[in-house]
Parts: sequence; C-alpha cells; structure tokens
Amino acid sequence: MTSRRRFLSAGLIGLTAKAERAITGSFVNESQALGHRLRDRTSFAKPTRQVKVPLVVVGGGMAGLSTAWRLDKSGFHDFALLEMAPQAGGNARWGENEVSSYPWAAHYVPIPNRKSLLVRELFEELGLLHDGKVEERHLCFSPQERLFLHGRWQEDLEPAVGATAEDRKQYREFENHMRQFRAAGEFTIPIDLGAKPSPLDRISMADWLHQNGFSSPYLNWYVNYACRDDYGALASNVSAWAGIHYFASRENEDKGPFTWPEGNGWITKRLLTKLARYVKTGATVYRIARDGRRLRILTEDTEYSAEALIFAAPTFLAPYILEGAPAVRGFEYSPWLTANLTLDRLPRERGIEMAWDNVIYDSPALGYVVATHQNLSSRVDRTVWTYYWSLAEAAPAHSRRLLLDKDWGYWKEAILNDLARAHPDIRTCVSRIDIMRMGHAMVRPTPGFLGSTERKTLTNYSVGNIWFANSDLSGISIFEEAQYRGVSAADRALRVFGGAAAIHWP
Amino acid sequence: MSVILFLSVFLIAACGLIYELIAGTLASYLLGDSVFQFSTVIGAYLFAMGIGSFLSRFIGRGLVARFISIELLVGLVGGFSSSLLFLAFAYTQSFRLILYLVVIAVGTLVGLEIPLLMRILKDRYRFGELISHVLTFDYLGALGASILFPLVLVPKLGMVRSAMLFGIMNTAVALWSTFLFRDQIGPRAALQAACLTALVALGLGMAGAERISAAADNNLYADEVILSKETRYQRIVLTRWKDDIRLFLNSHLQFSSRDEYRYHEALVHPGLAAIPEARSVLVLGGGDGLAVREILKYPGVQKITLVDLDPEMIKLFSTNPMLTRLNGNSLAASKLRVIHADAFPWLGETQDMFDFVVVDFPDPTSYSLGKLYTTVFYRALAKHLSRQALVVVQSTSPLFARQSYWCIVETLKQAGLKTFPYHVYVPSFGEWGFVLAGQYPYEPPAQLPDGLRFLSARTLPELFHFPTDMLPVDVEPNRLNDQVLVRYYEREWRDIAH
Repeated sequence: MTSRRRFLSAGLIGLTAKAERAITGSFVNESQALGHRLRDRTSFAKPTRQVKVPLVVVGGGMAGLSTAWRLDKSGFHDFALLEMAPQAGGNARWGENEVSSYPWAAHYVPIPNRKSLLVRELFEELGLLHDGKVEERHLCFSPQERLFLHGRWQEDLEPAVGATAEDRKQYREFENHMRQFRAAGEFTIPIDLGAKPSPLDRISMADWLHQNGFSSPYLNWYVNYACRDDYGALASNVSAWAGIHYFASRENEDKGPFTWPEGNGWITKRLLTKLARYVKTGATVYRIARDGRRLRILTEDTEYSAEALIFAAPTFLAPYILEGAPAVRGFEYSPWLTANLTLDRLPRERGIEMAWDNVIYDSPALGYVVATHQNLSSRVDRTVWTYYWSLAEAAPAHSRRLLLDKDWGYWKEAILNDLARAHPDIRTCVSRIDIMRMGHAMVRPTPGFLGSTERKTLTNYSVGNIWFANSDLSGISIFEEAQYRGVSAADRALRVFGGAAAIHWP
Repeated sequence: MSVILFLSVFLIAACGLIYELIAGTLASYLLGDSVFQFSTVIGAYLFAMGIGSFLSRFIGRGLVARFISIELLVGLVGGFSSSLLFLAFAYTQSFRLILYLVVIAVGTLVGLEIPLLMRILKDRYRFGELISHVLTFDYLGALGASILFPLVLVPKLGMVRSAMLFGIMNTAVALWSTFLFRDQIGPRAALQAACLTALVALGLGMAGAERISAAADNNLYADEVILSKETRYQRIVLTRWKDDIRLFLNSHLQFSSRDEYRYHEALVHPGLAAIPEARSVLVLGGGDGLAVREILKYPGVQKITLVDLDPEMIKLFSTNPMLTRLNGNSLAASKLRVIHADAFPWLGETQDMFDFVVVDFPDPTSYSLGKLYTTVFYRALAKHLSRQALVVVQSTSPLFARQSYWCIVETLKQAGLKTFPYHVYVPSFGEWGFVLAGQYPYEPPAQLPDGLRFLSARTLPELFHFPTDMLPVDVEPNRLNDQVLVRYYEREWRDIAH
C-alpha cells in the first residue's frame, strides 16, 4: 500500500516536474587544514626513513611536473618530486564520476604562439600538434562561448544584446589598441621574453580604461570579467600591463583553445604516465633545513638528503618551510571556489545551444564550463558543469575567511541561486555539487608587482642550490608560465649537475 | 414536439454516417488502398447495424432508458473513435483489429437506435406515418452528413474533433430525450448526470484535441498529421494528404512519398553503380529504410550496415504497414545489420571497412548536427573506406543554400578526399545537392539497376553540371572548432524564408 502511494505520488511529481530533488555533495580536496598546520608550525611526525637523492622538487603542480619533464628528457633521473596532496596536478587537477571527467581548476590552453617553443615541444609530444599543425579534435568545439544578458543567451562573450552605437565604437577602439599592443611585441608568453619595465604596470587596468576614455559599461564589464577570470581580481586591482597582456599576447588566428573534458588534467595525466616514477603524492614537506653543503627535506615518513632543491610549490609557503628563506613580499593571492555540478538532465532551454563556456552577465561568479562539450555524440543526456567563482570583490583576506567560514549548504545555495537566473529549473536537474575551496588559488598581478624587485629577487634566487619555480613568479597564473618556470629551474639545476643541455631562448 | 423528435432522428442518422466515414477515411489515410478500406469498413458497419437491429428485439422493458444509454454509448465510442484509432496506429501493432472492433461496436449501437426509437414512438403515430417520417429524416441526416464531411468537417475541424463534435450531438440527443420522454422513464437523475458527464468528457476532449494538435505543431503542417511521436532524440511526424505521405523530423521535411524516389535514387545509384565490386555498404542516418531499399537492388552487395540513433524510427519503419510498403520492407532484409548508435563516436569504435557509404543526416540546423559535417568527421569516415570506395553526402540545396552546399564540398576536400558534386530536382525539396567523394577520379556508371523511375545511365552525367546560379562560391571548410556551416545554413535559409 505504501509503495503504491509512493508510486502514485512519484508519478504526480514526475508530471508536475517542479519537485526539487535532494542534492548531495561536499567540500572536496580540502588542503587548508594542512596549510594552516604549516603556517602555525604545528608539530609533524618525525620521519623514520632516510633517502639520499641529488635533487628534490617540492610541489607537483604544472611547474613541478614541467621540471620533472625537462629533467627526464635531459637524461637526468636522480630526483624525487614531492606533492603534498593525494593527487598531483595542482591547478591542473581533475575529477571523474560516472557521467564524465571534469576539471578542478585550469581547463584550457590557448593555441601556442610561434615563440612558445616549450609548449609547442610538449604539445607535439602529446599529439596536440603535428609538425606545427593543430589537431582539431582537441580544439574547443563550436559554440565556444555564450552570455546570458537581458533574459536570453547570446553567442560570444562580448555583450551584443542592447549594445549602443557608442558601445560598439568603443569595442572597436579597444580592439585597435590591443592590436597595436600585440604588434609592439612586448606582451609575450612567457612574459619574461618580451617584458620591459613599463609605466603600464604602475596603474590599474581600470585606470587605463578610464584614462583612455573607455566609458562603455558593457566594455568595462567585459574587461573586468577577463581580469576576474584570468587573475581572480577586479580590473581595479590588476596592473594595466597584465590586463592588456590577456588581450594582446595571443597571435594565433585559429579558433581555439585546446580543451578536454578533464581540463588541463588531460595534460597532467599524460605527464604523469611519463613521470610517475619520480612523483610521490601525500608527501608534505614541512621543513627544509641546511645541513652543511646538503639540504634536509623533512616529510612525515621520509627525510630526504639532497644537494639541490627546486621549490615549485606556491612561493608564499617558502617562509613557513624553508630555513633562511628570502622574504616573500608583495605576493597577493586570489581566493577561489570551484564547484562541479552533476546534472541528471539538461535544463530546458530555447534559442542558442549550450556552449563550452557559459557566462551570466553581472553575476559575481564566472559562469560554468560543460565537461561533455568535447563529446562527439550529437547529444548527451547527463553532464557535469564546472562552476567557477573567483572571490574578487573584497580584500583577499576577507574573502578567504568567508570562503572557510561558510558551510557547504551556504555555497550550494549561492551557486544554485546564481545559476537559476539563467536556468530557472536548475534545481530539478542537479543531483550533486562538489565544491573545492582554494584560499590561495592564483597570484594576482597587482599594480607594480611585475616590475617589483621582490619578484625579480625570487626569480633569480640561487642561494645554496635552491631555485624557485612556481608560476606565481610570473605574476600570471597560466599553464605556459608554470611550464616555463619549471623548465627554467630544471635547466639551472642541470647546469649545476653538469648533464645539461643548455637552452637557447630565441 | 414532433419537430424535435424528428430532428433527433436526423441527428442520429448524421452521427451514424459520420462515424462510418471517419473510420473509412482514417483507414485509407493510414493504410492506403482506399477502395479496399472503404468497402470493408462500410460492409462491417452495415453488418454490425444488422446485428444491432437483431439485438433490439431482446430489449423489453425500460425502452426509453435503454435508448438513452445507447445514445450515450454511441456518443462516447463514436466521439472518441478517431482519437482511439490514431493512438492505436501510433502505439500498437494491431491497428486493423482495433479499427474493425470500433466499427463493429459503433455499427451495432447505431443499429439499435432506430428500431428502439420506432418502438418508443409506435403509440404516438400511425405505423405508416411513423415509418415514412423516421426513414425520411434518417436519409436526410445521412445526406447532410455526407455533404458536410468532405466540405467542412475534414478541412476545418480535422478527424479528431469532427468525431468529438458528433459525439457531443449524440449525447445532446440523449440528454434532451430525458426531457422528451419524461413520462416514459421514471427516475432520470442518474441518466441526466451520465449525460452531463459524457458531455463534459467530450467537451474537454475537443478542447484538448485543439491543444494537443497545437502541441503537435499541426499548424506547421499543411496536411493531416497521422502520427506524431516524441522520441528520446527527436519529434517524428507523419502527415498524409491523399497518397502523399510526408515525414518530418523536428519539423524538417525528410521526404514526400510522391517524389522520394528521385531523392533516394539520386542518393544511392550514381555512387554505388560506379563500384561494381562493392560488397559492404554503410548507411549513416536514413532510418526510414529508403536508401537501403535502393541498395538492395544490387545483388553483389552482401552486407549493409545501417547506423541510426533512434530505435523508434527503425521500429516505425519496419512495422507500420503503410511505411513498410513504401520502403519495400527493406529493414527486414537479411543482408541488413541495424546499429542504434551515434554515428560519430561509432566510427571511432568500429573496425569495419566499407566500399560505399551513404551519409544521409538531417541538415546542419544546429551545432550538434553540424559536428556530423566537419573535417574531423569526414577524416574519421575516410579511415573506414576501402581503396575504391565512394562516399555520398546529402548536402542541402545548392540553390537555396549555396554557401552551405559548397562548404560541405570544401570540408570533404579538406579531409583529403576528391569530390564530385551533383544535384537533382526533387519537387517537394526543390533543387537538391549531393557530393560524392573518394580517393580516385570518378566515372559515372555505364549501367544502372533495372526498374529505376528517375535515373538513367544516359542522363546521369548531366547531374554533375551546375547552372550558373549554383556554381561554386568561396567558402571556409566546416571545422569542429569553427562551425561556419551552421552559420551559413542559418543565414541562407532565413533569407529564403523572409
């Protein structure tokens, strides 16, 4: 009897299709507890095992993995890579469920410029480029982007619905400016190839827009969105040089970018298959001390004794771990929240189709990316959305506290409320929301940072065979910078160990 | 009093004939062969009326109440008859059985009506007068109905609502009979309540039918919608007007039975006839079995693989008698292997090689369909081509959508294939384009299978000539990361529509 009643009510609910389903989920990949133990220098267990190895790489994100890739390719195999998290990859980590694999942070790489030789080398190895020609299968399919504006979706992110003649004029002028910047050759990837001390680094992107008469609210939203997306910060907190770099550094005419269901996790996976033997995960380095000419690197089960060390973990951690570390000043990091939403059915929509990147105008968050977008099937029934939210509005410390104080239910509601503006039936579609909180997700290129002496000091730091390699040294947290920093550090180590193929930069 | 009485006779007669006409018309719509359908439906109906008349003798007491109940039943069964038959056609395999059951049920009930009514009235009129009056109005009603049906009802109301309208009339007769014969029935509240319920049901049915047909985009279709099915993948709609059956997928015309032979002969034979050694053929899309019908004309072909996403489509075209007649029951062929899969991922998984491939997808109206027209798709397809193989791609209209057409040609070229574009005239589509593609130069075949209605070996080479207004234009190839085709297509067809 009960079952019949339940059956009937289920039928009725099915008919009305308004019933909200139970949405499960949790916080995942939490690392702040460990981070706080490092910060507070809480006691860690003493290692019971000793290992002697010439070189240790600390940090298994894209910088550390690129170091390993370079060392291995150069024939240098005597090193260990230590990653604190259970899974390597850092901002290029990924997850998987029964519907799809999906990214936890970085989810694309633009088609590399001609001068991005390292990226090209790796991409040839991974089959993304064939003799310089792109493999279309891995380029982002059409439609790439759409924007929810004035109650409807439009193609592309540049607001078009309701744009006035003045808005459009300013778009064109802005593009002209960017074209000139691009032609000047200063905005390179990696940035150190072309960057010179620039007055643009001393003002904010918002100031630059203002000084150049860009008053269009649409254009300002668009540029601000780009800064929030790439740097996790508002245009008013980002140096104009970095803001312009986003628009002026890409030369490729082909429609990109490269993307995969698991985002840059696709690259991580492939690097790991080559490099797994060097990588040790769940290995928290809590102390690095000098011991004569050698270094003692302490984790909870093993103590490593090494001649040299590459610090590829986020640089702000160095003072808490590394004895006699140089001062790390001026490094500001953006707090982020990423959520992966499993959808058991797609929201009802009319008009243009779901794109890869879907953005809601005037939302505090950045929108969502569809994990099944690169699927070859002409239709999918279930999918995973990766929802990005850089907490850019308030000061990082304040946002970080908010991020950690509020529980999962609070963020779940915030995410669903935001999405419901464009998808009123979203709550009937989603079955699971997993949320990853990152207090220090990426470095901010604040005005003055790129030209700062602190950044230069740490970049060139080479005391006692210790080198820094994290992408935060570039002030721009992108795949190419991480790879460049990792490879540069590897080359410096190789010079010390003498096995080195010195690299020649163009 | 007597006017109303004989008006009732008039209406009853009209209703009876309408149900018969509806059953006959529906049967010939859905099954074809109208002479056979009408003869058997009328025969069964008249025979059932005889049964009804015979049965009327067993009704003794409570004549009026019985008469009213029968009126109600006729109203309900007749009123919902056409909806029932449409549903039976769409959702069951036993349309014929249900058709004749409905005809016999309605006929029997209608056969009961007049004898009962005459017995009710026998004390009010002289016998001769009664017979004369009743039969006069009976035949008048039949005349009215037979004129109204083709001129007003079918064109304005459609089958479903016409039946319901006349069901309402039967029920109305029942209701006012409770007043007309109030001194002959006794307690009548229950009967009146039943009448009102039936009226409400039929009224709702009529309103609902309007809504259902609106949902079925009935206004989009010029002809009667005879089947409308929402599957997991698409909306399948069949329409029929006289002998013209049309298939629409998501509101896009796929074929008209009057001229589909032009389309399907042109799709298959220019390519397949040019490969005498072809043994294994692949059809992507084309769940209607019409391309397969043409391929079966080659005894040398030993294996046909049909990949279609929608199992409902295959089921429909392999079980519905009207449709199996159209495709010659090709989906039941022993050489045929049917695979329900999404073509693009399937190509990545299969190891099979083919000598001829028919790519018959819906037009690239969306990015998700546009994927099936990209360089990556054609490259994936090319990996499954034997040395001499040819591919033919249905490629929208080179006249209405010139850029779209030449974009498909360019995309095949970019995928490393040689292309041989051609076009034909299909009245229901207009000028239509195809592209043959392969590794080697193409020579039109010197011989075609027997029994073709459109193509001949002599005229075939002419298809490859393009008049000036369809000549190639400068276009980009369609790539997964830059689907220009969907944008060309959208713009070109929008310009035509405006």
